Amino acid sequence: MLFCRGFSRISRIPRTSLFGFILSPPTGPSQSLLSNQYLNSTLKVCGGRETFSWGLPAFHGVGGQIHYQSSSIIEEQLDPFSLVADELSLVANRLRSMVVAEVPKLASAAEYFFKLGVEGKRFRPTVLLLMATALNIHIPEPTAGGVGDTLTTDLRTRQQSIAEITEMIHVASLLHDDVLDDADKRRGISSLNAAMGNKLAVLAGDFLLSRACVGLAALKNTEVVSLLATVVEHLVTGETMQMTTSSEQRCSMEYYMQKTYYKTASLISNSCKAIALLAGQTAEVAMLAFEYGKHLGLAFQLIDDVLDFTGTSASLGKGSLSDIQHGIVTAPILFAMEEFPQLHAIVYQGFDNPENVDIALEYLGKSHGIQRTRELAMKHANLAAAAIESLPESNDEQIRKSRRALVDLTQRVITRNN
Amino acid sequence: MERLDPFSLVADELSLIANRLRSMVVADVSNLASAAEYFFKIGAEGKRFRPTVLLLMATALNVHIPELPPAGVGDTLPTDLRTSQQRIAEITEMIHVASLLHDDVLDDADKRRGIGSLNAVMGNKLAVLAGDFLLSRACVSLASLKNTEVVTLIATVVENLVTGETMQLTTASKQRFSMDYYMQKTYNKTASLLSNSCKSIAILAGHTAEVAMLAFEYGKNLGLAFQLIDDVLDFTGTSASLGKGSLSDIRHGIITAPILFAMEEFPELHAVLDQGFKNPANVDIALGFLGKSSGIQRTKELAMKHANLAAQVIESLPESDDADVIRSRQALIDLTQRVITRNK
Repeated sequence: MLFCRGFSRISRIPRTSLFGFILSPPTGPSQSLLSNQYLNSTLKVCGGRETFSWGLPAFHGVGGQIHYQSSSIIEEQLDPFSLVADELSLVANRLRSMVVAEVPKLASAAEYFFKLGVEGKRFRPTVLLLMATALNIHIPEPTAGGVGDTLTTDLRTRQQSIAEITEMIHVASLLHDDVLDDADKRRGISSLNAAMGNKLAVLAGDFLLSRACVGLAALKNTEVVSLLATVVEHLVTGETMQMTTSSEQRCSMEYYMQKTYYKTASLISNSCKAIALLAGQTAEVAMLAFEYGKHLGLAFQLIDDVLDFTGTSASLGKGSLSDIQHGIVTAPILFAMEEFPQLHAIVYQGFDNPENVDIALEYLGKSHGIQRTRELAMKHANLAAAAIESLPESNDEQIRKSRRALVDLTQRVITRNN
Repeated sequence: MERLDPFSLVADELSLIANRLRSMVVADVSNLASAAEYFFKIGAEGKRFRPTVLLLMATALNVHIPELPPAGVGDTLPTDLRTSQQRIAEITEMIHVASLLHDDVLDDADKRRGIGSLNAVMGNKLAVLAGDFLLSRACVSLASLKNTEVVTLIATVVENLVTGETMQLTTASKQRFSMDYYMQKTYNKTASLLSNSCKSIAILAGHTAEVAMLAFEYGKNLGLAFQLIDDVLDFTGTSASLGKGSLSDIRHGIITAPILFAMEEFPELHAVLDQGFKNPANVDIALGFLGKSSGIQRTKELAMKHANLAAQVIESLPESDDADVIRSRQALIDLTQRVITRNK
């Protein structure tokens, strides 16, 4: 990342976020480790969010088929990502060429988009494309087109557009979240690089948002515009909540879940709903799509919280601990606080003092915090799966496969190790 | 014909809009709320120039339209046409302020509208987030108008604003010194918002493409005239002589029309501009050349040309006998003169 060279972010490394699938097939554990390190090191230099890859056990690459021993499911388990691999390339290429062609100035930052916006991150578009197929039911009455028919462009292309727009909004929010304040600059970062980095980050983010606006307008569906505009509002609100928590708010599970919805789940829920709306689905089905996205997103983040403590091992303290070190109090700690009220005082004080981190970890270890968080994640994952199972029935094989894949994803989200 | 103050014609409506704006940027998170409403607070609202133009345009276009397009199925008829047009004014202001917030971060500005810039007061990141917040609120409001053509127009504005900002950060000499590039950048950064929002006003009223285009042309030419005079005032300030202005453009290395014209007469200026203005001596040298040239004069003339084009557009609108319509059109013409004769 040209503009970030020589500029290391001393303030907290932002949280892992909902992306990081390496689709270049890892041939074995060492291979995926290598990919991880490459991404991680690139990002640490640039102060971007850490990516992670879902090193799924027994994942043998794109197109591979995973067979589960499952008591009730007889059908073949397909890798969800392989179902939409070609489309994803299409979406990725469109996104990439749009950025490079239209704003050469930002092309140096385009590398950033490629790493984060394309190669690494395909989770959201995968969900959306699968959802598009899953909802591809024949609708008996044509939707009202009105003057200026909204259905002239191919439905699938429009839904792919939602996937692109969603990625643009996501990357834009990452870029803007990374804007530094003078306080950060003063901690020894070269001010020139930081300043330049800031400007390009703001500009690149604005560029993506503006393209998202244009893309949304082209869909000629004002409800979809409203949904995705709301996502931007939520992302900003969530980030601000994270930046400005009071001691009291830090101790509240409700506040935490609200923030988590805003920062992580809203994007998936609203874009899933948009997919349904474009397909002319009923409000009920659109709501199911919304619920799937919401619960999937929440489940994902809760496991993310756990992994920050546990890392790739089941025991505490092997994770990166980046949340707690940055004073971000997540579900495991909040649960622990219910069992050990003494933890309140520590959380209230905050975690600038590293001793508090150790104390908190100790309480966490003695508590059921990790376990309860996993259970909550599982609850949400199951709710997501239930939403899919509530969709209007279909005999179409493609539709059924996609729905199974969406259900499959809900399990992968909670069983992953990284 | 009584010469009314254009702003007084719409003063009450402006207050209404200002109040609605303040309530529209309320946020649940207090820091975000303070940031978002920073420039909508009483005293910090700015000149209200844009909303004035739009409200006047709305009245100016308040003529009977022989055939209104049929309402589409699922179309929400505007609660009131006027209300939806007012909403355009609100949306326009939110987008405008959002762009100011980001520009100030990009320019490291510490002052705006006579008070501390938001980034100086609350930090860069919050300023950026607040800008995004305003943009998202504007888009939600835009969507509620349920008019996809208007959504497209305003989305174009957002895109143009970013392009304009990107163009401004361009350092390649060939472009920096090109009048065409400068005018394109000026359109993107200043005139596009006015032109497209004026057009939106016309479209909401159900006017033909021709009338919508006239509204567009008014906004565009008015915006260009406005910016050109802005460029002049940055050099001249409240006096006709050079150097009394804030000179903030040139100090930031932003080359504007007066200098571009001067360069045509004094190619030596190229070298000075290439060196940049970190060295304040270069500012003096550039001003020296500018003073000897007709740069200021030619910029004023160009501004006048655009102002006159804007006035002519109003005169081309479909005739009307309605007193309010006539008054508003007169006010719009009046504005084109005020834009070029103003001293600040």
